[in-house]
Amino acid sequence: MTLDWTIPFVLSTPWAIRAIELLFALSAGIQTLEYWRMQTAMQGKGLWVWSIQRQDIPTAWVREVLDKLFTPSMFRVLLLTRLLALMSLLVQGGHLLNIGFLFVSNLAVLIRWRGAFNGGSDFMSLVVITGLLIAQVASCFTDTEMAWRAGFWYITIQSMTSYFMSGSVKLLQPEWRNGRAMTIFLNAAIHGPLPSGHWLRKPWLASLGSWAFIVWECAAPLALLDARLALIFCLIAALFHFLVFWFFGLNRFFWAWVATFPAIVWCSGQI
Amino acid sequence: MSIYWVIAYFLVLALTLIYKTPIVRGPWLFLLRSFFPNWKFFHTVGYVPHLYARASQVSANGEHTWTAWEHLYPRTSPSFWQLFHNPHTNLGLAQQNLIDHFWADLNDSPDGSDPRSLVTYQMVAHFVQGVLKDKYPQHSHSQFELRMLLDNTTGTVHTHVMMTSPVEVLS
Repeated sequence: MTLDWTIPFVLSTPWAIRAIELLFALSAGIQTLEYWRMQTAMQGKGLWVWSIQRQDIPTAWVREVLDKLFTPSMFRVLLLTRLLALMSLLVQGGHLLNIGFLFVSNLAVLIRWRGAFNGGSDFMSLVVITGLLIAQVASCFTDTEMAWRAGFWYITIQSMTSYFMSGSVKLLQPEWRNGRAMTIFLNAAIHGPLPSGHWLRKPWLASLGSWAFIVWECAAPLALLDARLALIFCLIAALFHFLVFWFFGLNRFFWAWVATFPAIVWCSGQI
Repeated sequence: MSIYWVIAYFLVLALTLIYKTPIVRGPWLFLLRSFFPNWKFFHTVGYVPHLYARASQVSANGEHTWTAWEHLYPRTSPSFWQLFHNPHTNLGLAQQNLIDHFWADLNDSPDGSDPRSLVTYQMVAHFVQGVLKDKYPQHSHSQFELRMLLDNTTGTVHTHVMMTSPVEVLS
């Protein structure tokens, strides 16, 4: 297949909606099933026991409500209901009820983990569900096309900002510019130090890899100029997130960011 | 028209990298911080907090016999299937995030304040008790330290202890 740059390429709104709903359902489903498996860490001798964490809640009546919501049995019900809502999103598509519930329950789960469980992937998952909620709420007041425009642009701007900011702050750090930071972070990663002969221990290769990611991340907003550019950008981004997963174990980052790609491709076709 | 808005947005964003604004804090802002992401990942190299713990047995005359300090740092092996289901690694990452928050809380605490009132201290103490009780069921006491490690590309080049807990009874 060759790309014809003379013909405008636009991802249709129904395709973009369906793609983002499916990818978000997959991403949130993976997260919810992982939470299900983590319940032992939230009880007894586990690190995340609510009896200690509840002191984080500054408002007494909210603390009492959350005490009830975060009993082991109620939390299991919450996770199961989330799975049902995600199944409904997968099969039927989004509507105010399932998207609204997924948004509220997402907040509850985040509070259970002191505001964020996995950092960036929680932020991006919240961005996507907020974008879907914007589209659902706005479609009650305006036409569907305009409502999805608002939702897609919210997701796209946040996703593009994440790449741009992440690249820019690295550009300002000398350790990233000379490649040392990449080796240091990889050594400290959860999968253990790099083997002594690993190619990323070679300073010039680490430096080349660092610069490749910095330039690519800083140039992310350019992907909005054309939907074909956006498609290429998203393919590289998927590879980037896979590498981050492979070296740092961050599987949730992969799915959380991939779920934003339909919005990026759709918006780039609108400029 | 949209293109001009997008250009203007990213120009403002670039300016925010230069001009620093005050940090707004609060308990609810902390719990709802996912609404205000800063998107700065792995950006600074420097001292990183690490948790160490040890257990002891007490002799009849009250002397402690300590185990060696154990580095409680999560390590897992990679597998392709973890792309779809990875609870063990994610729990390890969350544990290390908590250690980062514990360090930040200690850093923000006024001089002379008792860290035991911090939620993060209590969570870490509870976690240490659980780990040591499992590993050393015959031991009766525990202690933990928060150490700051500075790494270069080949290994750790400097360490200092930021906090040592009082000796606690393993319950």
